[in-house]
Amino acid sequence: MIEDVRDLARKWLEGKEVDAIFGLKEHDGYIAPYLFTAASELDNLTISTEYRLCYTCRPIKENILALMQRREPNTKIGIVARGCEERALIELAKRGQVDLDRLKIMGIACTQEEAKECKCERPYPSNLVIGERVKGVSEDEDINALLNKSLPERLEFWRHELNKCIKCYGCRNACPMCFCKDCKMEQEVFSETGWLPPEIPMFHFIRWYHISERCIGCGQCEKACPVDIPLLTIFKLLRRDVKDLFDYEAGMDVEQEAPLLTTLDEMPMKEEVPSGV
Amino acid sequence: MAEFEPKILAFCCNWCSYAGADLAGVSRFQYPPNIRIIRVMCSGRVEPEFVVKALSSGADGVLVLGCHIGDCHYIHGNHRTKKRMAILEKILSYLGIDPRRMRLEWVSAAEGGRFAEVVTEFTEEMKGLGPNPLKEVRV
Repeated sequence: MIEDVRDLARKWLEGKEVDAIFGLKEHDGYIAPYLFTAASELDNLTISTEYRLCYTCRPIKENILALMQRREPNTKIGIVARGCEERALIELAKRGQVDLDRLKIMGIACTQEEAKECKCERPYPSNLVIGERVKGVSEDEDINALLNKSLPERLEFWRHELNKCIKCYGCRNACPMCFCKDCKMEQEVFSETGWLPPEIPMFHFIRWYHISERCIGCGQCEKACPVDIPLLTIFKLLRRDVKDLFDYEAGMDVEQEAPLLTTLDEMPMKEEVPSGV
Repeated sequence: MAEFEPKILAFCCNWCSYAGADLAGVSRFQYPPNIRIIRVMCSGRVEPEFVVKALSSGADGVLVLGCHIGDCHYIHGNHRTKKRMAILEKILSYLGIDPRRMRLEWVSAAEGGRFAEVVTEFTEEMKGLGPNPLKEVRV
């Protein structure tokens, strides 16, 4: 699999189809995002579930792909992308962050183990280039456990979980869809300086609400969390809700505008949907 | 023990609902005094964060009042409110807060009576639900 990725990347670079390949590089046992410009470097190109390539770099508050595209307006970048990364790129393009015309996406499929690890519902890109399509994980115990709780039990559960938060902003920093330069989670009104844990549930609510319609379900927030708050549970539920309410799925079609950015005439809302209670 | 008196926060849009509240006043319609009104220029100004902030700061219920769909002074402001509040309701229920504590209603400038009705009904509902449990969560 990795050999196929390297071979194709080499072909793209040598054939001048792209000017550089954005992927993960292995160096002394460590893995980090890297922009490959020479075919000779490609032996170190690797794939890993540890990183997503299209996150926003803090504290410079720039999406790294957007930054590269702006600095080099005439280059075409090839990117090794899993299903979630491809969906993230589509969502980012929809919101004017990256230019898909100047990207060549090498869609790779995840293995069954990787899909299980990420609790991924769709572990393959829509434009699959390398690898075999495996089935996604449809059943999530965390979701069923939450839905089986009564309202007071849910509140108690979240009170316990959110109390662990150390306000590291890891969830936001790892999220490919969190690209705002001015983040509401840093505003004094919504999260006071010097408070630990941050205001419950406001701090996490901000992200749940802001990312609700654009969550691509990559699970990076939950993976990044040092205290294991099950953030993905609500995101996954919201992905279902957005689908029920607006018949919309994030990261599928770059032409389809997001529900919260459109009017009711442009994208109607279904009135009768089963409640979350 | 005295009956539980809920604290209710209402966001009223400047063009319809605030004028509707005004009309309820000048027409001398009776409604419970549990409500505190914040005037916003458009119901589209009401971010779901405001509602959560109100609930965690001690409000027992939050009313969001705006113009009827199609009558928005800013054409599409209330379309956005409607979509946002639908998602907010979902998140509230997952968090364990009764989504009935937030209600979105359309009240026009001519509907003073309806304003009084909505406030009365909502206050009764909040009395039934009891104190907001989120208040205790805030340390």
